[in-house]
Amino acid sequence: MAIQTEVLVLPPRTPSRLASLWRGDFPLIPALILVVIALVAIFANLLAPHNPEIGSLTARFRPPFWQTGGSTQYLLGTDQLGRDVLSRLIFGARISMVVGITAVLFSGVLGTTLGILSGYLGGWVDQVIMRITDTWLALPALMFAIFLAAIVGPSLWNIVLILGITYWTRYARVIRGEVLSLKEREFVRLAIVAGCSKRTIMLRHILPNVINTAIVLGTLELGVVIIAEASLSFLGVGVPPPEPAWGLMLSDGKQGLMVGRWWLTVLPGCCIMLMVLSANLLGDWLRVKLDPQLRQL
Amino acid sequence: MRRYIARRIGYCLLSLFLLSVTIFLFVRVTGDPTTLLVEPGASQADLDAIRHQFGLDQPLWVQYGIFMTSLAHGDLGQSFYYRTPVLELYLSRLPNSLYLAAVAMALSLLIGVPSGVLASVRVGRFWDSFGKLFTLLGLSLPSFWVGLVLILIFSVYLGWLPSSGAGTPLHLIMPAFALGWYFAAAHMRLTRSSMLEVLGSEYVKLARLKGLPQSLVIAKHAFKNALIPVLTLAGINLVIMVNVATVVEVVFAWPGIGRLLFEGVTFRDFPVVQGVVLMGGAMIVIVNMVVDILYAVIDPRIRLGS
Amino acid sequence: MGRSVSGEKRKSATNVINPTRREVLALAAGGLAAVAPGLADAAVPAGQLTWGVHISLAPTWFDPAETPGLITPFMVLYALHDALVKPMPGGPLTPSLAETVSAAEDGLSYDFVLRDKAVFHNGEPVTAEDVKFSFERYRGASYEAMKARVAAIETPDPRRVSFKLKEPWPDFLTFYGSATGAGWIVPKKYVEKVGDDGYKKAPIGAGPYKFVSFTPGVELVFEAFDQYWRKSPSVKRLAFRVIPDEATRLAALIRGEVDIVYSIRGELAEELQRTPGLSLKPVNSPATFWLYFPDQWDQKSPWHDERVRLAASLAVDRSSINQALTLGLSKLTGNANVPDFFDFYWSAPAPPYDPGKARQLLTDAGYPRGFEAGDYYCDASYSNLGEAVLDNLQAVGIRAKLRPLERAAFLEAYGKKSLKNIVQGGTGAFGNAATRLEATAVKGGVYAYGSYPDIDQMFQEQAAQMDHKRRATILQKIQQVVSERTMFAPIWQLAFINGAGSRVGESAFGLIPGFAYTAPYEDITLKSG
Repeated sequence: MAIQTEVLVLPPRTPSRLASLWRGDFPLIPALILVVIALVAIFANLLAPHNPEIGSLTARFRPPFWQTGGSTQYLLGTDQLGRDVLSRLIFGARISMVVGITAVLFSGVLGTTLGILSGYLGGWVDQVIMRITDTWLALPALMFAIFLAAIVGPSLWNIVLILGITYWTRYARVIRGEVLSLKEREFVRLAIVAGCSKRTIMLRHILPNVINTAIVLGTLELGVVIIAEASLSFLGVGVPPPEPAWGLMLSDGKQGLMVGRWWLTVLPGCCIMLMVLSANLLGDWLRVKLDPQLRQL
Repeated sequence: MRRYIARRIGYCLLSLFLLSVTIFLFVRVTGDPTTLLVEPGASQADLDAIRHQFGLDQPLWVQYGIFMTSLAHGDLGQSFYYRTPVLELYLSRLPNSLYLAAVAMALSLLIGVPSGVLASVRVGRFWDSFGKLFTLLGLSLPSFWVGLVLILIFSVYLGWLPSSGAGTPLHLIMPAFALGWYFAAAHMRLTRSSMLEVLGSEYVKLARLKGLPQSLVIAKHAFKNALIPVLTLAGINLVIMVNVATVVEVVFAWPGIGRLLFEGVTFRDFPVVQGVVLMGGAMIVIVNMVVDILYAVIDPRIRLGS
Repeated sequence: MGRSVSGEKRKSATNVINPTRREVLALAAGGLAAVAPGLADAAVPAGQLTWGVHISLAPTWFDPAETPGLITPFMVLYALHDALVKPMPGGPLTPSLAETVSAAEDGLSYDFVLRDKAVFHNGEPVTAEDVKFSFERYRGASYEAMKARVAAIETPDPRRVSFKLKEPWPDFLTFYGSATGAGWIVPKKYVEKVGDDGYKKAPIGAGPYKFVSFTPGVELVFEAFDQYWRKSPSVKRLAFRVIPDEATRLAALIRGEVDIVYSIRGELAEELQRTPGLSLKPVNSPATFWLYFPDQWDQKSPWHDERVRLAASLAVDRSSINQALTLGLSKLTGNANVPDFFDFYWSAPAPPYDPGKARQLLTDAGYPRGFEAGDYYCDASYSNLGEAVLDNLQAVGIRAKLRPLERAAFLEAYGKKSLKNIVQGGTGAFGNAATRLEATAVKGGVYAYGSYPDIDQMFQEQAAQMDHKRRATILQKIQQVVSERTMFAPIWQLAFINGAGSRVGESAFGLIPGFAYTAPYEDITLKSG
C-alpha cells in the first residue's frame, strides 16, 4: 500500500489577533448590556413614554408602579418636578453614550496622536510633550473641569470638551511607552532603511500596532469619564439641567435618599453602574486578550 | 548618574514653571472674584475697592511678577476669602488629606491585592469573580453617591458612625472607604498582571519543579515579587488621591485640601487655587521624579538609554 | 436739640428699658431661679449649643472693619461684637452700644451717647475714641461712600460721639447701622497693640460672646461674656461647625451632632418637618427673586410690548412652585425687588396665575402661537426654580432654553449687562427700598439695563429728601410705577429654611425681622432637663 501522505494545507495565519477573540471567556453579558444601552440611546424617542424635560408639579415624587402611590402611568416614578423617571433614564442613556463615547474618542485621538509623536520623534518634541503631560497631570482633573465649566459655561458639548481635554494624558503616556518599544522592532527598522517618510511610518506601521492599546484604554476610560460627569454634576458644573443626564439625576436625587425616595438615585445609579461595570469588564477582558503585559494600565 | 539626576531635576523645575504660568492664567480667565465677595446689587465703587485691594486692577504681567517673587520667598499669597496666608491654610489642612489618603490607600490595597491574587491564581471561579466584581464595583459608582449611602446607612439608620467632620478614627472610616474603593480596581489589576508575570517566570517554575507546594510557592516567592510594582503604583496613587479626594471631602465635610480647593474655585479665590494646585502639582511632579530616579538607580539601562 | 431717631418708632429719646427696672427684673429672675430649681437658670450660663453652618467661616468676619457686603459675616458679628445701632427685635436701627441717638434737623449731624455699662471682653469700657477709631479703620463694603460723606467725627467726651456730614444723607444710619460694619465697635488700644493680623487671631469685641478658638473651615468656638450690657447669655458655649453639603448637614442634625442647622432646602426640609424632635425654622429673608427682561428697552424685541411681559408674569404658577420648592413658606409678593420688612416698602399682592389670560395677551400682542424667546439665564444654584418657571412659560407658548450659569459667571454677566432675553435675578443685599431700586430700576444701576426718565427723576428727588414721610411717598410711587409697567415679573421673597434640634429652647430664629440667622445670641436658651 502506498503511503499516503496528506499534505496539510494550513490556512494562512491570521494577522490580527482580534479574530481569536470570539470564543471562550468572552464577556457576553457586559457586551450585551452595552449594546442594549446603545440601542436604547438610539431609539430613545420611540421608547420613552413621556417627555423627559417637562413635568407637572402635581405629579411630583410618585414612586415606581409596584409601590403604593405608584401607577403604570409613570412606571418608574417621577422626580421633584413631576418628570417621568423612566423617560429620563432612557434619554439619559443617549447623553451618557454621547458624552462617554465622544469624550473618549476625543481624548483618545488627542492622546494617541501626542503619544505617537512623542514616542517616535523623540528629542525636543518628546520633551515638550512630556512636560505638558506632566503639567496637565498635576492639575487635578476635576478642578480643571470646574475651571473650564466656569469659563465656557456648562453645556453638553462643553462637558464633552472638558472631559476630553482632561483625560488624554493617560493615552499619551502609555502609547508613548508602546511606541518606544515598537521603534526597536524589525519591521520599523526595515521601513526606515527602505526610506519611508516619518509620516508614513507613523501612520502605516506604528499606528495600527498601538490601536489595540488605545482601544483597551478607551473602554477603561469610558467608565472614568461617565463617573467624572456624575461628579461634576454633583459639584454643580456638569451637564446642565434640564438635560436628563444620569449623573445629574443622581446629583439632583441625592436629597431624596434621606426621605426614602430611593428610586431617584438608585435607578440612575444602577444605570451608571451597569454601563461602567460592563465597559470595565469588557476592557479588562480585551486587555488580557490583546496583551497581558500591559501593566501600566 | 549625576547628569541624569540633574536633568530630571531640570525637567521637574520646568514642569513646575509651566504649571505656575498655566494656573495663573487659568484662574484669571475664570472670571472676576469681586462679584462673589459682595451681595448681588452692590455698587460699582464697592467692587472697584475690592479689586484694588487684591491688586486685581493691575496689568497681568505685574500680577504675575508679584506672584512669582512672593513664591520665591515661600509666600503663596493671601486668600481673598479668608484673608490669611495661603501657605498657612494649606499646611493646616494637608495633614488631614494625607491622613485620609493613607487610610484610604490601605483599604484600597486591602481590597485590591487579595482580589488580584485570587484572580491570578484562579482558586475558584466564585472567589475570583466575586473579588473582581467587588473591586470593579468601586470603580463603577461615583464616590459621592457611595459616601451618601454610607452616611445614610451607618450614620442615620444604624447610628454607628458620626456623619461628618473629622476628629476621631471613627470619623475616618466612611470617607476612607468611599475614597479607597475607587482605587482598589487599579491595584487589583496591577496585582493580577504582576502575579501572572511572576508566576510565569523561570524562578517560580523552578520552585515548582523542586516540588514546593503551590500555596507556598505563591505566598513566598510570587507574591513578594509581584508586590513591588503594586507598591510603587500605590505610592504614586497616594499623591493623586490627595488631590482627587475633593468630592469625598465635600460630602463628609472633611477638612482637607480638596475641599479647600473646591471652595477656592467656587469663590474665585485666586491665591488659594493657585497655591493648592501648585503645591499639589509640585508633589506629583516631585514624586514622579523621585520614582524615575529610583528606577534609574535600580536599572542602569534606563538612565543610559534616555 | 434735634429730632430723636430710634428705629421706626417715634418714641421719646430712649427706647431702652430704664436700667433700674432692668436690674429689678434681673433680681426677680434670680429670685425665681433660686426658688424654682426646675426653671432655666438665666443668671449662670450653662451648656453648649452647636451650629451646622453651610458656608466656610472666614477670619475676616471677626473684624467688622473688613465686612464685605455679604450677610453671612453678621452671623459672627452678632455674637462677638456690638454696634452703636443695629437691627434688633425692637427695630432695624435699635440703639445698642449707644444709649441715645439723635439727628439734627438739618440732617448734617448725628449725635450718639454711649452706654455706661458697655465694656469690651477685656474689661475696658467702650469709649468715643473707640467709635471714632472703628469708623476710620473701616474698609469693607461701601466704605468709600461712607467716608466721602462724613466730614468729621467729634468726641467731646468719652461718652459722646458726633458725626458731621458734608451734606444731608437720610440713609446715613441705615448704612452705618445695618448695611456696613462701620458702626460695630472694636477696642482701639487693643487693636493698635496687636495689629490687624493679630486682631483676627484673637479678636476682642463688645458683644455677648467671647472668642475662644478657630480652626479655619472647620470649627469656631465662643464663650459667654457675662458682663454684656443687655443681658448675660444663658448658653455658655457656642460652637460653629462647617458642613457644606446639605444632606450631610441634616444628617448631623438628626443624629444630634449639631443642634441648629442653616439652609435646608427642598425635600430635606420636608424630612426635617417630619422628624420628631426637630423643628423647622423658616425665616423671612431679604432675598427677593424676579424675572427681568433685558430686551424690554429694545423696540424690536417682543419684550418691548408690556403685554408680553405681563403675559410672562401671569403664566407663572407661583403658589405651586412655592409649595414644591420651599414648602409654601416663601412669601408671594407683587413687589419684585423689595422685601416686606425694608424701610419704604410698598406692598402689592402677587400677580394671579392665569395662563388663559397670558395666552390672550400674547395673541393681542401678535403672538397667537407664542414665540421663541431665546435663553433663560439663571444662577445655577437656583436652577430648580428656573426649571419650574420655564415649564410654566413654555405652557403658554413662551419657549426658551434654560441656561444655568455658575454663580460667579452669572453675577458677572448680569452686572456687565451681557445677558439677554430672560434673566432670573435675585439679591439679598442689605439696605432699604431705595438701595434696591437703585441697583435694579434706576439709571446707572448695576442690574438696570435701561430706565425711564420719570423714575430717574423721582429717585433723585427722594435721595435729597430728609423728611421720612415724604421720602416714603416718593419711593412707594416709584415701586408702584415699576410694578405697573411690569419691568419685572416678581417671583417671591425667599424663605430661608433652617432646623433646630430638641435641645434648643429659644433658637432666636426670626427675632430680628429679616435676619436669616440666629440672633440676638444672648436670647438663645437651652431646653432644661
